[in-house]
Amino acid sequence: MIRRKFLAIAVSACMALSGTLGTASAQMAESVTEPVTISFYNYNLATAGIGREATLELIAAFEKANPMIKVEPIGAPSNEVLSRVQADMVAGQDVDVAQLVFRDLIYAAEQLGAQPLEDIAGEDLTAHAAGFVPSGLALGQVDGKTYGLAYVFSTPVMFINRDLFHEAGLDPDQPPRTWEEVKAAGKAIAEKAGKHGFFPGAYGPTDGTFVYQSIVMSNGGKVREGNILAFAEKDQADAVAMLRDLMDAGAHARIDVGAHLDTFQSGNLGMFLYTSAVLNRLESAAEGNFELGLAPMPAFGEKPTAPTNSGSAIFMFSQDPVKQRAAWELMKFLTSDEAYTIITTKIGYLPLRLGTLDDPRYLKAWIETNPKYRANLEQLERLTPNVAFGGPNYRQVENMMKDAMTEAVFGTGDPHEVLRAAQERAQPLMPN
Amino acid sequence: MTNNDRLTRLSAHAVMVALSALALFPVYWMVQTSFRPPNEIFSTSFWPSAPTLDNYRDVMAAMPILAILWNTFVMATATTLAQVATGLLAAWALVRWRFPGGRLAHSLIALSWLVPFQVVMIPNYVLATKLGLLDSLAGLVIPNAAAAFAVLVLYNAMRGFPREVVEAARMDGAGSLRTLLEVVIPNLRAPLASIAILCFISAWNDYFWPLLLIRKIENSVVQIGLQFFMTQEGNDWGLLMAAATLASLPILGIYLALQRQVVESFMKSGIR
Amino acid sequence: MTDTVLAVPHAVPRRALPFRLRAAEPWLYLVPALAVLVIWTYVPLLKAFELSFYQWNMLPRSQPRYVGFDNYANLLTLPDMRRAVVNTVLYTLGLLPLSVGVPLAVALLTASLKGPMRNVYRALIFVPMIVAPIVAAIVWRWLLNEDHGLVNAWLRGLGFDAVGFLRDPQVALWTLVWITGWKLIGFSTLLFAAADSAISPSYVEAARMDGARPWQILRDIRLPLLSPTILLLTMMTILFGAQWSFVYINALTGGGPLGSTTNVYYLMWEYGFMTMSAGWSTAAGVLVFLVFGFIALACLALMKRLAVYDE
Repeated sequence: MIRRKFLAIAVSACMALSGTLGTASAQMAESVTEPVTISFYNYNLATAGIGREATLELIAAFEKANPMIKVEPIGAPSNEVLSRVQADMVAGQDVDVAQLVFRDLIYAAEQLGAQPLEDIAGEDLTAHAAGFVPSGLALGQVDGKTYGLAYVFSTPVMFINRDLFHEAGLDPDQPPRTWEEVKAAGKAIAEKAGKHGFFPGAYGPTDGTFVYQSIVMSNGGKVREGNILAFAEKDQADAVAMLRDLMDAGAHARIDVGAHLDTFQSGNLGMFLYTSAVLNRLESAAEGNFELGLAPMPAFGEKPTAPTNSGSAIFMFSQDPVKQRAAWELMKFLTSDEAYTIITTKIGYLPLRLGTLDDPRYLKAWIETNPKYRANLEQLERLTPNVAFGGPNYRQVENMMKDAMTEAVFGTGDPHEVLRAAQERAQPLMPN
Repeated sequence: MTNNDRLTRLSAHAVMVALSALALFPVYWMVQTSFRPPNEIFSTSFWPSAPTLDNYRDVMAAMPILAILWNTFVMATATTLAQVATGLLAAWALVRWRFPGGRLAHSLIALSWLVPFQVVMIPNYVLATKLGLLDSLAGLVIPNAAAAFAVLVLYNAMRGFPREVVEAARMDGAGSLRTLLEVVIPNLRAPLASIAILCFISAWNDYFWPLLLIRKIENSVVQIGLQFFMTQEGNDWGLLMAAATLASLPILGIYLALQRQVVESFMKSGIR
Repeated sequence: MTDTVLAVPHAVPRRALPFRLRAAEPWLYLVPALAVLVIWTYVPLLKAFELSFYQWNMLPRSQPRYVGFDNYANLLTLPDMRRAVVNTVLYTLGLLPLSVGVPLAVALLTASLKGPMRNVYRALIFVPMIVAPIVAAIVWRWLLNEDHGLVNAWLRGLGFDAVGFLRDPQVALWTLVWITGWKLIGFSTLLFAAADSAISPSYVEAARMDGARPWQILRDIRLPLLSPTILLLTMMTILFGAQWSFVYINALTGGGPLGSTTNVYYLMWEYGFMTMSAGWSTAAGVLVFLVFGFIALACLALMKRLAVYDE
């Protein structure tokens, strides 16, 4: 009884909404002439410190420049922000702009109804994206359309404890460039300095698949091809087997995967591959304890690396033409030269616009005083979009993949077989 | 014989000292870490070499922590009062009368304890939004205004209450409500106090529901405040420990102030 | 022996009071609690039961699709399910000593303590109960870390090898059991001490007069009279052990290393509640509710048979 009624209501609600859908997204308003308020779901606001302050500063600057638009910021932790957006949509609240992590890209586009920016903004989007890094727009694209505008993001870099390098008789000015060299250096640190050699922040529980995907794609593989899972295939599995080899050789740390940052900060880890966004934090922890170094992510022999993006993009969900305009103006502002000057100098994320680095109005002075960021900025040229999963069960699939690759490295079974078994179990959960 | 007694006494002291140390040490560690500068966080010394209040200053600067603590206090107090009140009434109904449907009501209340919160989270969020409870302390209290735990414990406490006294009150012409208020409740102080303190602790430590419902930091509660210092990019240990210390202080203070009564009430009521 | 002792004190008259009051009266008292529970727990639970047969993300723009028992089948055939069930049993078995065994022993052993120190101890051992679970989790993670944790520093100082408390798949589950139990020991001890001190001294006196030795008194009088508390805490551990440890699994291991610390509740969280699919999460919730509801009923029936009441 309850069922029939409940579903009847649900279905009729769907009909009602899809009926209005076609008209609502027809045309974005030319400009905002009346005062309008838009909601902005943001995860930087849910943590204390520079990320929050910089975000509030950005919003204030935007409101000053656009007096007709008021932004209502809603903070939620990064692992909760999607649930919050979804819950609010279910509850009938207006969601206008949301900052979501890249793993949710396809879900946001296909299920949550993010607006395709080409359809909304057209040439304005092309003009705005002109100064982006080469694959800038591609980071937020699904099937050739841009749903998310890359916002605060970074790539994996290798953090180095230079003191441990010295203790192990290694030259921290010549950090390992390839995985072979990582293996040798890791073994040396483990044997001579008695500390952990190398660890990639790739295993979770914190969301680490971008590090894993960077390693896989640097070996020329991809975790899926279309709707066919491929993380157990040749190059992809070989990359994981390489990590296992480091583990078996004693070069890869066997530590509590949830405390890798602590292990590095306490001076017990020689090489740590993780998002450059933690640089500020690591610097303050290292101060007075050890000397911190920075290197690009290692390569598979001569193959160029394919660093992927961690972090987030901003999405537009507004249905109302005026709110769409307001949302679009906010999105443009948040990815402008001015915004990246604040984002990069204050929070430590990478600028989506490399032109800012040569411009004295923006980041020129900053990069000159902070040359260590260059290792990371060079990687932007080779930035390879993180691969998100689609379909209603995408999180389950991603979980299975992550668990399998962790077991392949830390467990005792053959890594290729472990991955193969997981891939076969997960494939039925992919969309057809 | 006396030697034997002394030995028993001594070993009893030893056991309790060990247990107390085990209970307190992590709390001590939290407090002392909150006084450490960032580069000394991972030292294993027992006390920071250069204790600093910076972490507390930064916590205060990062969020209106006093307002947040006040919100939490109001929320936890209101939740506790509501749970105790609804619990008293329901338990009284179940103890005072045998009536058709009574067992069903009893089981419904008991089984509600086993419903995982996550199942009802989203529907409740939708309902709370419709009722205009979003971002309000009322929204934190109302869905938690009744707790199976409180009903069940009070039910057991009342069942142990001497029948004769209730009967006598009835003979005197007291209605059921008056009997509850004037005869039963005054004699239930101990279990009421212990239930209240447990309800208060669990409300104070509630996390998932406020996380969903509260949008502005100034309307927030302290468990959400703690989350402010934990990010995907690592935890801000000094700040987190300072905030955790601040979050624990009030409840610790209340507990210490009422400690004798709390412990006594547990001793007397022996929740069952 | 216990029976004869127990037959004496006033038993609760089980018989109903003669009621000529209006039949509605009890319901007036029940309404506040029932209304809250029905509106905020049972109605959503029924909706959840309904939704568990659909594939839907609850968004107004998408259509629910009827999938029968697929959601349940998907959950029950998860590769980690068997391990999660085994682990749930291990958690419960591991928690029992900490929530029942040790507290009972401590309460009995320290029953003779008198004076101000007794109150000080009782105040101190309650402290873990009021520490927020998330705070307990992160402080313990720290203390137990293999490289920079204090516990391992001590172990090394004493000449032992370091232990990977949260890293070693053989150890991690027991570490989480310990952290979960840490919050409970003091509380349970208080409950046992309370129940023990409520035992009428006259029984013990009488037994002593009869020449019973302390251990006989313990076995024949104190333990049987403590049985309601023992059974209650045992049942609570069985019913809620998986939930209590959930916070720590979620905050500390995410079910790892190598799935060694996952339990039924966490698996449901990971594949049900954390996914954006209403079908999976409601199916997970209904499963948890049914399984633990069944266990609860079984426990209650058992308790009625076993408990010895003195009232």
